[in-house]
Amino acid sequence: MSDQQRPGRSEVPRPTGPRRGGAVRPQLSGHSHTPARSRQGASQPALRLGRPRPRLRLVSALLTLVLAAFVTRLFQVQVIDASAYAAKADFNRYQPVELAAKRGDITDRNGIPLATSVDAYDITADPYLFTPGQAKAAGAPQQAARLLAPLIGVNQDTIAKQLSTPDSRYVVLARAQTPQVWDRIKQLKNTLSKQAARHGAPGLLAGIIAQSTSKRIYPNGDLAAAVIGFVNGENQGAGGLEAELNSELAGQPGQATYAQSGGELIPTAGGQEKPAVPGTTVELTIDRTIQWAAQNAITAQVKASRADRGYVVVQDPRTGQILAMADAPSFNPNDIAHADPSALGNAALQDAYEPGSVSKLMSMSAIINQGVATPETHVIVPGTLQRGDHVFHDDVDHGTWDLTLNGVLAKSSNIGTIEATGELGTTQPEANQVLYSYLRKFGIGQPTGLDFPGETPGILAKARNWSTSQQYTIPFGQGLSLNAVQATSIYSTIANGGVRIQPSLVKGTVGPDGQFTPTPAPPRRRVVTEQTAKTVAQMLESVVGNEAGTGVSARIDGYNVAGKTGTANRVDPATGTYRGYTSSFMGFAPADDPRVTISCVIQNPTVGSYFGGSICGPVFKQVMEFALKSLEIPPTGTPPANLPVNFK
Amino acid sequence: MTSGMTGVGGGYTVRRFTPERSTLGKLVARDSAFRRLDWVMVWACVALTIIGSLLVWSATIHRTQINHGDPEYFLIRNLLNAAIGMGLCAGTIVLGHRRVQSIVPILYGLSLVLLLAVLSPLGSTVNGAHSWIVLGGGFSLQPSEFAKITIVLGMAMILSARIDAGDRLHPDHRTVMQALGIAILPICVILLMPDLGSTMVIVTTVLGVLLASGASNRWVLGLMAAGSAGAVLVWKLHILKQYQVDRFAAFANPALDPAGVGYNTAQARIAIGSGGLLGKGLFHGTQTTGQFVPEQQTDFVFTVAGEELGFLGAVLIILLVGIMLWRACRIARNAPDLCSTIIAAGILAWFGFQSFENIGMTLGIMPVAGIPLPFVSYGGSSMFAVWIGVGLLQSIHMQRPVSA
Repeated sequence: MSDQQRPGRSEVPRPTGPRRGGAVRPQLSGHSHTPARSRQGASQPALRLGRPRPRLRLVSALLTLVLAAFVTRLFQVQVIDASAYAAKADFNRYQPVELAAKRGDITDRNGIPLATSVDAYDITADPYLFTPGQAKAAGAPQQAARLLAPLIGVNQDTIAKQLSTPDSRYVVLARAQTPQVWDRIKQLKNTLSKQAARHGAPGLLAGIIAQSTSKRIYPNGDLAAAVIGFVNGENQGAGGLEAELNSELAGQPGQATYAQSGGELIPTAGGQEKPAVPGTTVELTIDRTIQWAAQNAITAQVKASRADRGYVVVQDPRTGQILAMADAPSFNPNDIAHADPSALGNAALQDAYEPGSVSKLMSMSAIINQGVATPETHVIVPGTLQRGDHVFHDDVDHGTWDLTLNGVLAKSSNIGTIEATGELGTTQPEANQVLYSYLRKFGIGQPTGLDFPGETPGILAKARNWSTSQQYTIPFGQGLSLNAVQATSIYSTIANGGVRIQPSLVKGTVGPDGQFTPTPAPPRRRVVTEQTAKTVAQMLESVVGNEAGTGVSARIDGYNVAGKTGTANRVDPATGTYRGYTSSFMGFAPADDPRVTISCVIQNPTVGSYFGGSICGPVFKQVMEFALKSLEIPPTGTPPANLPVNFK
Repeated sequence: MTSGMTGVGGGYTVRRFTPERSTLGKLVARDSAFRRLDWVMVWACVALTIIGSLLVWSATIHRTQINHGDPEYFLIRNLLNAAIGMGLCAGTIVLGHRRVQSIVPILYGLSLVLLLAVLSPLGSTVNGAHSWIVLGGGFSLQPSEFAKITIVLGMAMILSARIDAGDRLHPDHRTVMQALGIAILPICVILLMPDLGSTMVIVTTVLGVLLASGASNRWVLGLMAAGSAGAVLVWKLHILKQYQVDRFAAFANPALDPAGVGYNTAQARIAIGSGGLLGKGLFHGTQTTGQFVPEQQTDFVFTVAGEELGFLGAVLIILLVGIMLWRACRIARNAPDLCSTIIAAGILAWFGFQSFENIGMTLGIMPVAGIPLPFVSYGGSSMFAVWIGVGLLQSIHMQRPVSA
């Protein structure tokens, strides 16, 4: 038996024929007689039908063959071609992709968006996939550029050049395209790749990718553009509040890791994704409708006067909040590329100009507050006045005027102002020092506190450094400079009973959770007594109300209006010498219970009148009327103060 | 084992006339169940399972979107599956293929019911094929894996009944047709899922069964022809999903859309090729950690071996698969009766085709089809089924003469 079985071990296929198992079924007991039976079975002629064991032998031969083929193939892939595959593996890599955070909105004081963000796509490309080897066609960049140019509105040659960038795997073709544009590109991409698949080539646009981002839009166009500012190509604030508040508005970008393989970006494990934190929404103190009225009025007047520019600032004197800040000419922040670069700033904060007569309010406040004079104090105003080496005139030539102090302000007499302020001290330097201290308290020569980018603090020399002529010009507003918000603040201080409240533009913020956080209350400081403020306000009423006043154009039916004209010699920024005029009108209403302060400034009017009363008075009136109606402020009904202007 | 003298008939004499042996003695004795197992095959399968666990671990350690934040999630599951699979294997050995054979009608019916349940709302779709029953708790069942076993057993029962009874030498046409009937039903259900991979495996298994049964060459050739005709029919009747058609198209032309349909194969090849001779080291494959190859813990597990263990590691797996198949072939050849031969051959065809198709598709010499690599790929149903298959082979092996 052992010799029968030995071959069974060594030469596997030969020995045992098919067992006809009936008798074998009992497990171990059957061996002794099996071989004999199997021999018999094998010997039976069954050639026509398949025999299992030879077939199994065939199968094992086949198995061996297949295994050998696998090892051969593996050898080819892993040993012979290994370096080629290793190079391809190097092309696969992680690519961190920034997830753009949604930029916070900028809204007006009632939550109406002035700047908001919408979904958009940056259209990018992988130039490697446009090389002849990858695209399977020559001239792929040119062909692709021809298809893309009309869709993304970029010059065809520019695109072709970008797509041909050597050794680059990432170029940005167009930023912030609408989802519709990307949809169209995607459709084109799919159609082309289906067509190309028939020839075994990748689609022509296979290397065009889009990255989700957001686009900044300004739904109201140029409305308050000077205040809001604009963003740059990277969606970062580049001007105005967009720049100033960028860190709050921008939020925190997130990051996702994509695996890059060929031209495809494959999002990887969710755990590696850091979601973006959306930016904070900023609510401004700006009132959209008042802003609109202000902007319309100033734009029209600047155009009519062919002036360089003009600005209107509307402020709530009781809170210091700026309700409107309009700038003409303005620009459309939706299309910065085509805007006039000189119009991009916010001139109301960035232009330092010599205020002229509107500045006399500070001189009068100092005189009254110091108790040097009252509105009824007599001031004899000669036609000309020699001080130092300089002869001073008033705007209109006149003989000797017998004016009250009130009259000096109403008729805006420079000579009268010089005389009255001279009384502030026993000596001129002492008087200078007193005036200087009031100017400082009114905020001249200091930042407004708005921290607006590019804002100017103006120039106010220290009293001891005032030149001989400067000490006589500063009382009537020449020889110092300020910006329109600083000027507005002077009038608001008087309107607010002598307490200056630092101006503010941001009312509060709305976080991603919808929670509103108000801006902390701005600092306040008393500049003059309440009585002084009241008296000076009455004097301002005469400017508008008295027939002899310079500001009659600003009268509003039913309301007592307090205001002051200004017509200053303007320093031409180009030459640094006086040339042209700065016309202005500033004031508040209702005079005895002030709710709105408005200033209007027009630089270098060249057509028609250049007097502040004539060209800025109507603008003031137009905006003030609108604001009073818009804010539903009723007339006070008190009769005008009617302080005397002359004493004879 | 080869020193023959005591072995011959020793089973009878030694046991009767020597004192009672100790438990250990029983275990290590020549005629003990332990000694009678085909250990070469068992160790090959165990080695493949261990290597597979490491590869599955490496493939899923960074796949945080599926591993529930636990880098060892798949490793633990795979080891658990393997343990259960080996338990099922031991159970099958203890039960013996003959006793299993006696309940084949029940098993066959049960597998058919499960297959039909997949088509019912109980079933769910994974990667385009509606072939799973989700059991909840993260467990799911793929009945087509078990259908492979019951088809082999069912066909073996019918084909061998009259021959093992000594009535005939070869199955007649009627028997062959009955046997094919056993296979056709589940094939149709699986094709409806549509699970193309499993269908291909089962058709090949049926072919193996027929070859081993001694059926006429005409049947064997006929089945091959029918398979081709069926393929044409499947194509024409649009039973395949578009992605399945695309896979074959991508196989025919690998350059086709490397970012789309051809992505799997291209990335798989890059993974294997970049491994080089010695590999990048376990857990250090850039393609693997970068998750560039989809389904890398299941159908494309071989690419992990190729990239991280290199040519040597990949060849080791192919050699282990070869050893497993060689031993299975040997068991089939040495089986004492036709029923056993058919079962062994069917399992051989199943293991063989599945291994070749799986490794072949990663190497780009076979079209892509969703088939796991036996013992190596992650997947409970597959793991249980292949270890039950090993159990059946061992059970067949154990009924050989002691010294054979």
